[in-house]
Amino acid sequence: MTGVRTSVRRQADRRRTAILAFLAVMGPGIITGFAGNDAGGVTTYTAVGAHYGYSMLWLLVLSTIGLMVIQEMCARMGAVTGKGLSDLIRERFGVGWTAIAMLALLIANGSNIAAEYAGIAASLELLGVERIVSVPLAGVVIWSLVVFFSYRVVERVLLVLVLAYVAYPISAFIVRPDWASVGRGLAIPTIPTEQAALIAALALVGTTITPYMQFYIQASTVDKGIGREQYRFARIDVLFGAFLTGLNAFFMIIVAGAVLFPAGIHVDSAADAAGALLPLAGPSAQLLFAMGLFGASLLAATVMPLSTSYAICEAFGWESGISKNFRDAPVFMGLFTLLLILGALVVLIPGIPLVPLILVSQNVNGLLLPIVLIFVLKLANDKAVMGEYRNGAFAKVVGTGAALMAGALSIALVVVTVFG
Amino acid sequence: MPYLSEIQHRKVIEPNGTEIGTLKDLAVVPVGQFPAIQWAILATGDGERIIKWSDMAQEIGHLRMRTRSDGMVDATLPPEALRLSRDLLDKQIVDTHGAKVVRVNDLQLSDVDGQMRLVGADVGLRGLLRRIGAENLAEKIFGLAGRKLPRGIIPWHLVEPLDAASGAHVRVAVPRSKLALLHPADIADIVEEMAADERRAVFEQLDVETAAEALSEIEPEMQAAIVSDLDQERAADILEEMAPDEAADLLQDLSEERREELVELMEKDEAQDVEELLTYDEDSAGGIMTTDLISIPAEFTTQQAIERLRELQPDPQLTYYLYVVDGQGRLDGVISLRDLVVAKPDAKLSEVMDPHVLKVDAMTPKEDVAALIAKYDLLALPVVDARRKLLGTVTVDDVVEIMMPRGWKKRSLRSIAR
Repeated sequence: MTGVRTSVRRQADRRRTAILAFLAVMGPGIITGFAGNDAGGVTTYTAVGAHYGYSMLWLLVLSTIGLMVIQEMCARMGAVTGKGLSDLIRERFGVGWTAIAMLALLIANGSNIAAEYAGIAASLELLGVERIVSVPLAGVVIWSLVVFFSYRVVERVLLVLVLAYVAYPISAFIVRPDWASVGRGLAIPTIPTEQAALIAALALVGTTITPYMQFYIQASTVDKGIGREQYRFARIDVLFGAFLTGLNAFFMIIVAGAVLFPAGIHVDSAADAAGALLPLAGPSAQLLFAMGLFGASLLAATVMPLSTSYAICEAFGWESGISKNFRDAPVFMGLFTLLLILGALVVLIPGIPLVPLILVSQNVNGLLLPIVLIFVLKLANDKAVMGEYRNGAFAKVVGTGAALMAGALSIALVVVTVFG
Repeated sequence: MPYLSEIQHRKVIEPNGTEIGTLKDLAVVPVGQFPAIQWAILATGDGERIIKWSDMAQEIGHLRMRTRSDGMVDATLPPEALRLSRDLLDKQIVDTHGAKVVRVNDLQLSDVDGQMRLVGADVGLRGLLRRIGAENLAEKIFGLAGRKLPRGIIPWHLVEPLDAASGAHVRVAVPRSKLALLHPADIADIVEEMAADERRAVFEQLDVETAAEALSEIEPEMQAAIVSDLDQERAADILEEMAPDEAADLLQDLSEERREELVELMEKDEAQDVEELLTYDEDSAGGIMTTDLISIPAEFTTQQAIERLRELQPDPQLTYYLYVVDGQGRLDGVISLRDLVVAKPDAKLSEVMDPHVLKVDAMTPKEDVAALIAKYDLLALPVVDARRKLLGTVTVDDVVEIMMPRGWKKRSLRSIAR
């Protein structure tokens, strides 16, 4: 009798264990997905929808598939090798290549940090706070958050603000978009060849698949101690998180495409972008938009300088850790502080337009993305690094395709800018 | 003194000057203080060739074969050989002196008695700059500022290869014997920087006692990961050696299946302690207490009590307070070591003990326990059940973390943000 009961209990326990195992490893992917909707993401998706309607949705679909495959690769590398991406680049390619990869990461993330400050400034300007006040204040707040508080608490609070973005999927049904033309935008790849459109397209790819996310997801996988056995759970989380990023972007583009595009509104400021939420929230549209943008920007502005400093110090073997001081970890603390200050200074340049600044930063990401992707692909294809867990044919093809797509757009943009 | 990066990729030529290929790598057998370079691996048009180092001569700008290579049969590397570039360069090593993990930027070679030997690992900025060909430039810039470019070289005899668990990818670290000499808290810091496979290697090789102490110092999430990776028997041995409350905390983070298996493998006594602790809520007094304590029957004389202590030879932190219990194990009072020693030898404990002992129920929230310990400046607080039976004690080090201001443990930051 007891034997039967025990075995029933065991079975139930086992099922519970499986669910618990999933919950325990859940997180990095979904959080990374959320963080993808930072200042750069929201602004780019809104601008793309407002200026080009639904016509670039196909590019978003391709980017999202690319993102899913590449994030999965990086998480898999983290689980199999137990090392971060910059670790692997250094050990496999030596100092010279590492310097190139880290320079690319530094520039991409530096411009992202500036964009996050711009997001903070823009969202608070909607609420009537001048940027000369909000930006330095944000810098101080971020410093204190990092130094005095547990990151997990900060993360949770800010994620709640980011929930304001639920407004987009809801709006997408309220504004009754013309689903037939949404379908056409999804299925028929078209792209104008003028510079502005290429800028928008590259920003779209660059903000969906950021170089930053690849380092971040791999580091989180390693830090959570996810190994080969738990990887199958982590994989679901990563794929779902990446899918969520794409889905969110999809709704943002649709709402902007249905509300702003027909009205011919050119998105030059946060107020223009907030206009997309008017049908849903009416007079509160600006508040809602500002909340989401502020939460996402502050969250990303907190994580990014830290994450960048960790990645770079790890690659070069420099002491790192936020509990260390300037004497023990000079490069780490210096880099972290410098990124925070420089990002803020860019936004404080008198008269600098915030929305174009954010779009340009996402172009920088797009331009540098192929460099990072080549490293990711070479590593994940490498038998010596990954053994039996190396990329299969599908991952290889899709990953290479994403790198080629970003590369082609980058080259096209450069060519059009120089000659056209 | 040449560095690996300075001679790597040099041209290798035949005695008559025709080019064979370039120098790709050097190999040593890692024994002795400064191992001799024994082989050169060349990159040639038809792939790799392994040549004995003694068959080559260093000349300015290139390496020349002493005899023609055509008829020469390639050497083979023994399995224990290390290839300097492939296996050591750019990998992480543990600097025992500074007790931290650093990266090998370059390898220093030196001619010792006509034999080229591996003498050090360059982990400094200089090595990094040399690799990208900027050492001289940086030296000039530093010179202008009136400073010298710092050197960061770890002598090779302080660095030894760790057994390769995964074939080609050897990472170096200090040998187990050297690692074991470090403080367990330092070992914990180092281990936290390592990859999963190396962590496992370290915990398989440390002696059980050190392993247990080091494991106690590691962050909870990683503790669970390490224990899951270890061989079950080994994991159980280490858990037995840990304080029961710490072992219980760790087990709590594992899957139920794994937990049951491990408890089954542990010695009966330790397993019982741990299982008892596992029944309490993690955040209650029962969840943070340890069952390691000294209880002495009330009818003992002080003389008998001291003899019992001699027998037990308890750890110092257990002797802060000695608990006096009745025949049913119920807590009657407490006596300090000092009072025990100064009392008359034939006095009964029940006469000299302090009957007003502060105690908490096993279900008390841990924050309340911490508050009591802080308020009364206690070193430990006994935990009892509803019938006053002594279950364990919460020592001050168990609650230090609860009392610390929020954000003190900044470590958690690292785990998400890098």
